[in-house]
Amino acid sequence: MSGLTAFARFEVARLLGSWKFLAITVGFPVIFYMLFLRNESAGKIVDGAVPWRVYLMVSMCSFGALVAALNAGGSRLSTERASGWARQLRVTPIPAWSYVATKVAASMLVVLPVVVLVELVGMAFGGVHLSLISWFELTGLLWVTALPFAILGIFVGFMVNAETAYPVVTALMFVLGYFGGLFNPVSHMPHALQTAARVLPSFHQTSIGLALLDGKGLGIEDTLVLAAYAVVLGVAIVWKHRVEESRGLA
Amino acid sequence: MIGPSGTCRNATVVPSEARPSTSVSPVRTGAVGGDPALRFDDVVRRYGKHVAVDHLSLQVARGETIALLGPNGAGKSTTISLLLGLLRPHGGTVEVLGTSPRQAVTDGRVGAMLQTGSGSGLPPGVRVANALQLVRRLYRRPASFELTVERAGIGDLLGRSTHRLSGGQAQRVRFAVAIAGDPELVFLDEPTAAMDVESRRSFWRMMRQFGEEGRTIVFATHHMHEADQIADRVVVINRGQVVANGPGATLKAAVAIRQLRFVTGYPDERVLDNLEGVTDVVVRGTGVALNSLDADATIRALVHSGIAFSDLEVAGAGLEDAFVALTGCDRAPDRGQTP
Repeated sequence: MSGLTAFARFEVARLLGSWKFLAITVGFPVIFYMLFLRNESAGKIVDGAVPWRVYLMVSMCSFGALVAALNAGGSRLSTERASGWARQLRVTPIPAWSYVATKVAASMLVVLPVVVLVELVGMAFGGVHLSLISWFELTGLLWVTALPFAILGIFVGFMVNAETAYPVVTALMFVLGYFGGLFNPVSHMPHALQTAARVLPSFHQTSIGLALLDGKGLGIEDTLVLAAYAVVLGVAIVWKHRVEESRGLA
Repeated sequence: MIGPSGTCRNATVVPSEARPSTSVSPVRTGAVGGDPALRFDDVVRRYGKHVAVDHLSLQVARGETIALLGPNGAGKSTTISLLLGLLRPHGGTVEVLGTSPRQAVTDGRVGAMLQTGSGSGLPPGVRVANALQLVRRLYRRPASFELTVERAGIGDLLGRSTHRLSGGQAQRVRFAVAIAGDPELVFLDEPTAAMDVESRRSFWRMMRQFGEEGRTIVFATHHMHEADQIADRVVVINRGQVVANGPGATLKAAVAIRQLRFVTGYPDERVLDNLEGVTDVVVRGTGVALNSLDADATIRALVHSGIAFSDLEVAGAGLEDAFVALTGCDRAPDRGQTP
């Protein structure tokens, strides 16, 4: 067990020790949030009873989680796998499953401070006022529901090589961000895009957070879609890992 | 005989009486701890239709340093992968330190330096010291950090980032990673691949020292002289089979390769190649070097052929030539990776 703890700590320290990673994961959501806050519609009510500035804080938490998770996996992971390090770990005492599990856990651990940071910006500059319990509930919910993003980041790192992973991650960030309604509400989009958004995990993560603040509780559709993403991508990674293992590659 | 195309043929070119043994030779089993360090019994491993390891049997006693020698694609890396439990055999049994390969790895009793192609085999963008500390913590009873650093001679690299290492430096760090857990058995797959001559020399010195502490070392190489000089015993593998098995010197004696050198006016490679006993022909200008498994017969055939020659010299050939004869490979590959 201590071996796995050491591995997880090593992974988190590597992520937090990378200036490039920190600049992207902290910079993107905070800068976007500050820019969008200056929008004149900041005080308007969107999607039910939620003001735009609250909506934006939740969607930027979601965006931050997405950026952190995709960059924690993505090309960092495919580079590492190509280096032969992943294979080297297979000849140490830690079990085979622990590589993927630790990667997902490390991604989740770096997602949490990003979510908290965006919330602090919301508190300080966005004029968002919530009860203490709501802050905790929202943070916990957004953190747990970031799991599909963490798995997605690892999935990209497993499926494509380092050169391809970089543009793939960038594309995913903006497709999931824009079409998931993180930059402006889906309800303001054309009908076709509104339908398309419903298949994106980013839309459902924001939606589940907003529903919580709106007092609606957990939406069943949101929960199911997010869980489905986690399971399907997770199974795909395990399958890829098994195939490589049977060929002696992992 | 070696054709002009220079391709590898099967090892059957070697007369059976000249070959030491095609199967397991008697080894010092149970010299130290009861079970042999590893037992590889009639193992088969295929990749699709290609048979990479073909009913290969091999036994290594504890404390031995063994070289797996063979050309590219001979099955050396596959053998090591099977011994580490990275691959499952399609037939036969593999036992490491009296247990399954996977169990031996999980128990932290085995270390390995794998081939990494163009990669460093190290976590990108991490300080060498941090990577080594991590690996130590994955083992229950690791060697001390200082001892590992000293054994691998990487004291000057600890503060370096893993992506700022030369090929040879990365290999040394990977050796440190392989021995960080203080393993009883170490596998090294082409460990000196990216090293210059001086680094090679110091690497083998370190490895020998490590082996002298009673550890078992299995390394794969296609450098004949390395195998010859470093290993207690050389196992020559070709086409997934053991074609020779014994200490380097024994192997040379058994194969009884002799090199004939002489000068002749118009050397015809095809004629020379067809002389009795000849396994390999090298022509440089008017100088000819023939490797022969039966020097007497070759000289008789040379005289009978009517070729005018002078300055005949006969010498014992090195292990490299023995290897050429055994594997039917024209030229031992000096670069490149074994899959």
